[in-house]
Amino acid sequence: MRLILAVLFVTVAMTGLSRPATAATPAEQFIAENVQRGLTILNDKQLSKVERRTQFQEFLLSLTDIRLIADYTLGQYRRTATPDQLAAYETAFKDYALAVYQGYFSKYTGQTLQVVGSTPPDDDETIVKTVMVDPKKGGKPLEVDFRVLNRAGHFLVVDFSVEGVWIRELERSDFTSYLGQHGGNVSSLIQVLRNKTQQNG
Amino acid sequence: MAREGTVRVMGVAAVLAALLLSGCAAPTADNLANNDPYESTNRSIFALNMKLDRMALRPAAENYRDLVPEKARDSVRNVLDNLDLPVTFANDLLQGKPSRAAETTERFLLNSTYGIGGIFDVATRVGIGNHTEDFGQTLAVWGAGEGPYLVLPVLGPNPPRDAAGQLIDLMLDPTVYITFKQHLWWHLGRQYLKILDGRSRNLETLDDIERNSLDFYAATRSLYRQYREGQIRDGNPAPDQ
Repeated sequence: MRLILAVLFVTVAMTGLSRPATAATPAEQFIAENVQRGLTILNDKQLSKVERRTQFQEFLLSLTDIRLIADYTLGQYRRTATPDQLAAYETAFKDYALAVYQGYFSKYTGQTLQVVGSTPPDDDETIVKTVMVDPKKGGKPLEVDFRVLNRAGHFLVVDFSVEGVWIRELERSDFTSYLGQHGGNVSSLIQVLRNKTQQNG
Repeated sequence: MAREGTVRVMGVAAVLAALLLSGCAAPTADNLANNDPYESTNRSIFALNMKLDRMALRPAAENYRDLVPEKARDSVRNVLDNLDLPVTFANDLLQGKPSRAAETTERFLLNSTYGIGGIFDVATRVGIGNHTEDFGQTLAVWGAGEGPYLVLPVLGPNPPRDAAGQLIDLMLDPTVYITFKQHLWWHLGRQYLKILDGRSRNLETLDDIERNSLDFYAATRSLYRQYREGQIRDGNPAPDQ
């Protein structure tokens, strides 16, 4: 009886898996090609530590709109910051983000990215859903999503999430809470970000 | 000896009372904006939890990761996951998701039999992946809000909706009704293993976030809320995203 049940379940499961393949959207293709390129840089054992960092940072800069992410993470404090502060903040954030994002992505070296779908574009933005598959391990693959902005046919990543946690949101909560406790002092935030960047270097 | 114990318990109670009273200051605009009216109390309990983590949980999780082979840890996790399936099944149904409930049943039957009590995750290999549901998520699907953010001693982030959900889940768990000798120890052991397993798998990630964040309390609050929101939507992006 159990055997029949098991065979039945396996059959159901297999038929469930064989969905008709749909053509990848341009945003999905963009993520599939580029993110794998980034993982390849992190995987490349031929590169020295410095070369790997430089290449990965160039890759991130070509793929993302870091300024847009920076402005988002300031939350309501963006309105009260002076233009000079804003410019300095954007630079400090860029250095910080390049350093810490490399750390986050280094965890996926040796893994393969598979695009599993995307949301219908809304306001020129779409979310491309992917999973990171570790060939050495079974179990549940990690869900990593990318928010992709279509700027006149040119795609840019403006946020990514791991298991439902979006990095841009996390940073905004973190930074605005810091600013709330430091009288909204953006210069102080800039200094702390610079220190964090140095610690990561 | 008993007297010492009583004194210690009274001491802990006094600290907790002081922590709760310290939170009675009027919430600021920032507190309200973050739906965290008891932020100062929450921060004190968060600091206490961080100390407990450094003293006990973290070293235990490191030892567990370093001393127990990965395959054995995976098996432990598989068994724990399998034991959670009846609760997931009940919540799948309560959320009106019969196809997910069927998936949960298939997983449970396959892993409990061919997976030898859940030690091997046979179901994932044939394409029936794991998902979890709890009563906190069910309440959210039914329309209940999270309530004010709360950090509880030892248990960590636990806003009212999720705390209430955990109590109901305990009642939904059939294993609770199986009585045998050492019944309570089995349950406590299972909960401890769940916490230990979870912590051991997040050692590096949480270290990274702590190192990179400016205000780890605020980062953790965002992490918890976003993770729960993702679970409630079954991994689908939010409508406004």
